[in-house]
Amino acid sequence: MNKLLQFCIALTLLLYSSFAVAQQIEVSGNVSADGDATALPGVNVSVKGTTTGTLTNENGQYSLRVSPGNSVLVFSYIGYESQEITVGNRTSINVSLKGDNKMLNEVVVTALGISREKKALGYATQSVKSEELVQNRQPNLVNALQGKVAGVTISSTGGAPGQGARILIRGINSIDATRDNQPLFVVDGVLFDNSTSEGTTNSGAANRGVSNRAADINPDDVETINILKGGAATALYGLRGANGVVVITTKSGKTGAFRANYSGTYGFENVNKIPEVQDKYTIGYSGVYNPQDFFPSWGPTVADAIKIDPTHPQKLYNRYEDAFVTGKQLQNNLSFSGGNDKITFLSSIGHLTQEGVIPFTTFEKLSVRINTNVKFSEKFSTSVNLNYINSGGDRYNADRFNESLSYWSPRYDIRDYLNADGAYKTYGNGNPIYGASTNKLRDNVNRLVGGVNFVYRPLGWLTLNYRAGLDTYSEDRKRTAPGPAGIANERVFEDNGLGFVYQYNTNFRAITSTFAASANTKFGQNINATLRVGHDLYDRRIRGFGAEGTELTVYNYFDLRNAKTIVPTQSAEDYRLMGIFGELTMDYKDFLFLTVTGRNDITSSLQSPNNSFFYPSVSLGYLFSQQFKLPQFISMGKLRASYAKIGKDAAPYSTVSGYSSYSQLPSGTTGFTRGSLLGDPTLRPEFTDTYEGGLEMNFLNNRFGLDFTYYNSISKDQIIRVDVTSTTGYVNAAINSGSMRNRGIELILRATPVKTGKFNWDVNLNFSANRNKILSIREGLTEINYASQSGYANSTVTMRLVPGYAYGNLYGRSYRRYYANPGEENPRELDRSRPIVIGANGFPVINTTQKILGNSQPKWIGGITNTLTYGDFSITALVDARVGQDRYNQMGNWFSAFGIAKYTEDRNDTKVFEGVLADGKPNTKAVWLGQGKGPDGVEYGNGFYRNVHRGVSENFIEDASWVRLRSVGVSYNLPTSLLKKSFVKNARLTVTGNNLAIWTKFSGYDPETSSTSSGSNVDGFTGFTYPAVRSFLFSLNVGF
Amino acid sequence: MKIYQVYMRPILIMLLILGMGGCKDYFELNQNPNLIGNPPLNSLLSTTTQKTALNSQRIANISSYFVQYLANPGAGGSTDTYQITDYTGAWDAVYFAMADLYDMKKKAQEQGASDYTGVASVMLAYHINLIADTFGNAPFSDAFTGTTLTPKYDTAENLYATALTLLNEGIADLAKTDTKVKLSAANDLIHKGNLKAWSKTAYALKARMLNKVSKKSTYKPADVLDAVTNSYTANTDDAQMSSFLLRNPWAQVARNNALLVLDGWLSAQFVNQLNGTTYGVFDPRIEKITDKTVKNEYVGTVNGQGNVGGNNTVKDETYISLNSPLTGDASPLVIVTFAEMKFIEAEAAFYAGDKARAYAAYLAGIRANMDKYGVAAAARDGYLANPVVAVGAAALTIDLIFKEKYVATYLNPEAWNDARRYDYQYKGFKLPLNAALPTFIRRAAYPNGEITKNGINVPAEVVLSEPLWWDKK
Repeated sequence: MNKLLQFCIALTLLLYSSFAVAQQIEVSGNVSADGDATALPGVNVSVKGTTTGTLTNENGQYSLRVSPGNSVLVFSYIGYESQEITVGNRTSINVSLKGDNKMLNEVVVTALGISREKKALGYATQSVKSEELVQNRQPNLVNALQGKVAGVTISSTGGAPGQGARILIRGINSIDATRDNQPLFVVDGVLFDNSTSEGTTNSGAANRGVSNRAADINPDDVETINILKGGAATALYGLRGANGVVVITTKSGKTGAFRANYSGTYGFENVNKIPEVQDKYTIGYSGVYNPQDFFPSWGPTVADAIKIDPTHPQKLYNRYEDAFVTGKQLQNNLSFSGGNDKITFLSSIGHLTQEGVIPFTTFEKLSVRINTNVKFSEKFSTSVNLNYINSGGDRYNADRFNESLSYWSPRYDIRDYLNADGAYKTYGNGNPIYGASTNKLRDNVNRLVGGVNFVYRPLGWLTLNYRAGLDTYSEDRKRTAPGPAGIANERVFEDNGLGFVYQYNTNFRAITSTFAASANTKFGQNINATLRVGHDLYDRRIRGFGAEGTELTVYNYFDLRNAKTIVPTQSAEDYRLMGIFGELTMDYKDFLFLTVTGRNDITSSLQSPNNSFFYPSVSLGYLFSQQFKLPQFISMGKLRASYAKIGKDAAPYSTVSGYSSYSQLPSGTTGFTRGSLLGDPTLRPEFTDTYEGGLEMNFLNNRFGLDFTYYNSISKDQIIRVDVTSTTGYVNAAINSGSMRNRGIELILRATPVKTGKFNWDVNLNFSANRNKILSIREGLTEINYASQSGYANSTVTMRLVPGYAYGNLYGRSYRRYYANPGEENPRELDRSRPIVIGANGFPVINTTQKILGNSQPKWIGGITNTLTYGDFSITALVDARVGQDRYNQMGNWFSAFGIAKYTEDRNDTKVFEGVLADGKPNTKAVWLGQGKGPDGVEYGNGFYRNVHRGVSENFIEDASWVRLRSVGVSYNLPTSLLKKSFVKNARLTVTGNNLAIWTKFSGYDPETSSTSSGSNVDGFTGFTYPAVRSFLFSLNVGF
Repeated sequence: MKIYQVYMRPILIMLLILGMGGCKDYFELNQNPNLIGNPPLNSLLSTTTQKTALNSQRIANISSYFVQYLANPGAGGSTDTYQITDYTGAWDAVYFAMADLYDMKKKAQEQGASDYTGVASVMLAYHINLIADTFGNAPFSDAFTGTTLTPKYDTAENLYATALTLLNEGIADLAKTDTKVKLSAANDLIHKGNLKAWSKTAYALKARMLNKVSKKSTYKPADVLDAVTNSYTANTDDAQMSSFLLRNPWAQVARNNALLVLDGWLSAQFVNQLNGTTYGVFDPRIEKITDKTVKNEYVGTVNGQGNVGGNNTVKDETYISLNSPLTGDASPLVIVTFAEMKFIEAEAAFYAGDKARAYAAYLAGIRANMDKYGVAAAARDGYLANPVVAVGAAALTIDLIFKEKYVATYLNPEAWNDARRYDYQYKGFKLPLNAALPTFIRRAAYPNGEITKNGINVPAEVVLSEPLWWDKK
């Protein structure tokens, strides 16, 4: 790393020294927009062939020292055509820039880094620019995209520092819960691993909010992100792109101006939503006060407890307010960029340090980048991108933290977890804060991502391009907990036991090699054609090794040699994929664009002959506004249509079964046991056929834009690693199973309702809706269970694939509904309109057959961004919504079982449950809801909540729709007049608030959080999660 | 397209050669480096013998609350008070062990290793009983094959027949002398490669099974006695296992409790029988089972009630003890014992009308159990001579046999089978406080894992007081 820094500094100095200070004159002038003559601030004015340059101020004025004579000034501004003007002997040059037909000539980066004009595409893409990306200062790049892209669902799985975020494009494509459904990340042409490594069970990483690896990307380095959604867009990436592709282009130096840029952000954050709890009843069971009871809230009222125990506080604590702290973060980024005709470069260094709202959780990231581009001649150029990242932090198990939080009695202050002698203090149940302070998982990732690209144009019409990329990292994880210190009467924290030290190391290495040759030609006057053929190789190797040492001799010496037993863990995975592809694009008279692609993949994860397969795509773009003369108010109109077939292989080793090491034997004895996976050697690739159509229109001089997409995709022969009953002898099985359909719409609307000299208002809206249906599953199966989460008294909620029903359905136990004719009852669907059946004992009857109680997939998602600019001020607000989704609130189940929920305050009431008896007659029996013997003399045992309520999943599957004020940012650009005399070129102050408000019916934490890590496709469970946060950030951005 | 033909074709062909050449091996990663294809029999033997004992403990850690050896330290414990509780962990462990046994047996059959098929059959039979006696109907005939992902459930009665057949097959295989692979002593963590011992264990398990149907008309005491005769003759024959990664799991419970992670509290029912409260006789085995409280006495906890009288961390109750030969760090997990055989003999002989044999077996059972627990000879003999115990053959009752067997099967899952056969008629045996059922528990609910992953086959939920087939007249 030191070397890298040295290199970076040396390069900087080298470029500095090349500035020749010759005899110069000062040139100044105004830059305005052609037509309405409004001043254009921020226009890049540079001297061609040098690194000298400046920006225009808010009044569109600039001044610059240049050598007189042949110097050429280049005026460039996004959305306008660049102009070059020879200085001659003039000292004043006024320029008016012509608006370029932005929507028409916008260039986007498509598959394999190919830049294409957006108008020529026959499929939907959407790009996010640097400014939009950094607007909410999210350290995780994936989170930074939230609400900004149509058809893309991004869920921050929780608020932990560095915690993973899940990104799904157009819903679930593959139903395998364990398989990555997330898009491929490609950074400057190199495949960038975005896995979330859960490690071994003992490492506990799955519940500790470990990062998705794309979190390693420094958002400040990013120039643009382009999202390729459908099959036609991603076809050239082959099966790796089957879930969509996120194409990231990092910033690069620009010819002309030498720039330095600093940005710094300080922020703090709090839990944005905590559940409501009852504050009437205290510790004990059956209404009996017991200050050491396991049950936190089934005791008497606080008032009654105080009579028994004078030390009982007057008011219960609120552990959900007390357990969390204020999180903090600090980001610093520094970059240098510049170049001349031959060489451009960018170097950057970024650092982030963050402390989370669960005490003792942290994350730190350092990123260093160098991008250079060297043009040896008009025919040959090469570029190198290097990115070194060090990231990691202390992670705590949010699931345990919150579960313990449920058990913790609010009779006691949760923050009081240490005795004077430093030993653990508790009345009995585990204190989660003590857990967080001692039960540690620390990860440390050292990663190097680099790519080298050669472009050779031997002939005007022929381009050869070769790119080699490497993504490699080593990830160290150390999990530790101290044993008891040996202090008299010391309490032991259950999860720590007698202390342990687990150490793991994973080495990841992926090589990407892509060769492409492209040839252009013209057929006659009207047809342009480009043919591209190529070869693509991906080779991934992962090696893991770990040692789990249990029971420490010296209680807090975390060294494997200090452990009583050591169990080694080891893992290896190789994966190879090769593709050969071709693409032919043709355009006719610049209004009709046709693209045909084909690709053949050979994968190592399927067995011959299923491991080699071909799939094609075709797309058509029709720019009808170019062909016909349309009314004046229509600036552009285009229709798109595409069809694509995409293949997908299996997870590595899905075709193999075998025996794995059995690790429970004492040293000296070894054993083997059936491996957890039932592999299928005959697995076939799965294929997705996608049809997509779209319409793009711009109106009123591009002040208003519309982009609509409809798609319909059917995936066949889905490869699933399905959870199977242990009675098969396996934990899961790899199968080809059935087909699934996704169809939906995406709509993007842009408008600039106000555009005056000083005041601008931009609105950007995206909306999408996806509908999913399982069309069929494997023969012989009627349903596939792919996930479940427990609830008390068998109120477990499961997610199943059932033909004819959607992915994401949540099944569980419900209150039995009354059917006069039992034959009318649908065995899967719950009819909530029917009366509940009340048993002879006066309590509602539980239907033990699991029925559909909700669905985890949103009916629609949307986001709207409003940006108001007035002079140097701008304010941006993003509101996004996810509507029509349900979640199982596991915490809610505990809230019922342990008498924590506010509604359990009615526990000592006597009531008549509304419903009908088995014979259909209305229930009239009054029952007591409490525990033990009721006022009516009847023995009620564990009471209504534990006997009935907690066992009904229906009570805990909640509407998790939300609308939120995702972010508001206010920024102020220091007027250039103020900065004129200083070396500072521009400066901006920004205050950002994220997650400022949420509107939802959900009773737990923010329902965007998830019980499963960002690598999982299971999104129906929340509850004991790392709560989401509301953050306030203060940023300074200075350019030199 | 001329350009394409002239320039692109050679390039494409070059690429194809580049890509395909030598890629045959490069893309054939059909071996998972984390797995092996064909493990040797002995490596499955060490796994399965350990799992068998651990599973005995896993089930006992549930049933010991039902028979009130143990009581939850807190009020309203879920298992303690018969609530529907998820035992997916125990269920899965039993099935994964059976899968290993199934494979070991299949591989042994392929290799003509009758030693291994015999041992596998015996352990399979043991596991089938663990599952069927806890849950009732369960998959077996359809299980482990890799062909179905949702194995059907066999009736508990069929499972019983299957297990009995397996025991008979095991006995036959163990008698063979032409095994192609000899049982590995080093990997046999139960009987150290001793075939005779395995055969005795097979008979012991058979005796258990034949005796289990005592409520049924098919019950034949003579068959039971026959099996007993072929089983153990001394405590040294007992099937037990003491190879642990760290320690005996009961010792772990005891250690956790000592470190105030409360667990393993002895039930008042059990303690009161031993400390003289119930029968007026002090049973010296209590000194080998547990330790005295800080108040120098033996006090149990009432099931469902949890801790009483102040702080639950004051050690004024009795717990599973690290000092016991059954629950110390290095203590073996006991699967089936000579003492238990003697009580089975006593019961069968009693029903067969041979009171003399029954009485002799009853006394021998107590004596063997005392010796197993390491009770001093004087204390042992004193207890055996106590008139409450030494009632004479004529005065021997079924109650006395069950009473004594209850102590001998401490922390053994078989105790729950006895309790149900005996309809929980132990003196002083009461429903737990705030029991979720109006009467004693007779079965456990199917675990979540089955409901979620094999939902189409799981039998409809019945109330947990509904007896299993052998528990009904």
